[in-house]
Amino acid sequence: MGIYPRSLERLIKEFSRLPGIGQKSATRVALYVLRSNRELAEGLAGSLIEVKEKIRFCSICFTLTDDDPCSICCNENRSNGTICVVEGPGEQLALEESGSFKGRYHVLHGVLSPLDGIGPEDLKIGELLNRLDGEGIREVILATNPTTEGEATASFLVKLLSEKKKGLKITRIALGVPMGGDLKYMDRMTLEHALSSRTPVTP
Amino acid sequence: MNTHISPAIIMRIKEFGESDLLVTFFTSERGRLKGVAKGGRKSQKRFANCLDLFCLTSLEYELKRKGDLHFLHSCKLINPFPGLRSDFSSLSLASYMIELTEILFPLGVTDKEMFELLKNAFLTLNEGGRTDTLRILFEARAMALGGYKINLDKCCGCGRPYAGEGRVVFKRSKGVIACMKCEQESKISPGLGPDTVKALRIIQSTPWSKVEDSPLTDEMISEIKPVFKLHMEYRIDRRLKTAKYLE
Ligand SMILES: [Zn+2]
Ligand SMILES: [Zn+2]
Repeated sequence: MGIYPRSLERLIKEFSRLPGIGQKSATRVALYVLRSNRELAEGLAGSLIEVKEKIRFCSICFTLTDDDPCSICCNENRSNGTICVVEGPGEQLALEESGSFKGRYHVLHGVLSPLDGIGPEDLKIGELLNRLDGEGIREVILATNPTTEGEATASFLVKLLSEKKKGLKITRIALGVPMGGDLKYMDRMTLEHALSSRTPVTP
Repeated sequence: MNTHISPAIIMRIKEFGESDLLVTFFTSERGRLKGVAKGGRKSQKRFANCLDLFCLTSLEYELKRKGDLHFLHSCKLINPFPGLRSDFSSLSLASYMIELTEILFPLGVTDKEMFELLKNAFLTLNEGGRTDTLRILFEARAMALGGYKINLDKCCGCGRPYAGEGRVVFKRSKGVIACMKCEQESKISPGLGPDTVKALRIIQSTPWSKVEDSPLTDEMISEIKPVFKLHMEYRIDRRLKTAKYLE
């Protein structure tokens, strides 16, 4: 059926199963692999297998890791007592790269999404509650995205966390005008949040 | 250019390629549609953060020449319904309403009243209405608009018109009622009192904004619940995926 030899067709087909890669890009990448030296193909194949075999969830924070517990959970220089809750490893990485948080993390692996068949039992929520007492947690920062489902997940967690531990400080990341943003193009809700969470400025 | 601007409710959003979004939305003009928001994950200017689930927006889209994917040009937020994200039961009920709408209205089937129903249901849910009442009001009206109205006018056995006196039973195979002389109440033929039948008649045929002032009593709710469970299972022939989060 295809214009290429069968093995090349197969490679194109495999690449096109990846997110964001259509038939055209898949063909381009496959032809590139074909033209490159053997080393590239072997490195690629090896790391594909390795990632599936070695990567697992950290048994404490549930991020992706080679070693369990992960390097963040093991790091004694990070402060205890504060957990930052994120949707996935990508969000955790973004926060880590900002370098502004020095506490511990908890990765939920998704958000509540009835339309996609994701309920509370599909997320690492029980695991989060279990950490509160064991690790002497004083503050939980809810850093799910400010989308409908992210907000609903944060609201759901607020209820559970406050029931589980009296006196626990629960905070939500601020929502407002982004760096380089333009007020003219902001939606009503963002502006409302930006105004209500304004902070005092001193000279 | 064939550009339209219409009020629309965002039903589903999926990441599409590197920076685009695939959006399903319900418009008042053309029913449920699908479209691509080019650069939707980054463009603050054109989409102003309002491509988010359940938001009521004013959406500018262009009809594509072939296929059923439209291009979304821009979007303005009309109402984000913040109450729908304030707890899991509201999120679940809103999701259930979306799923039922998707089943009853295939892509491109226009129904202005369905759009109004969805919008008004979200408005009421946003204000914190009782979820069990809202669910019934929505189910009854949506099923009626989708062509599955329960016929409450006469007994399906003897054909006698129902004059609003005495109990009746619901017959799921025909989506009708029967009088107590012709049928008996049972688990698969649940009974309804005269007040419940009267209320159901109003809910099925009146736009939402007019019925929400006449609340259902707890007794009516407990009578209508099993009727719609049977009616929907029989007509839709599947259980809604989101239903399990409502219990
Ligand atoms: Zn860890
Ligand atoms: Zn009869």
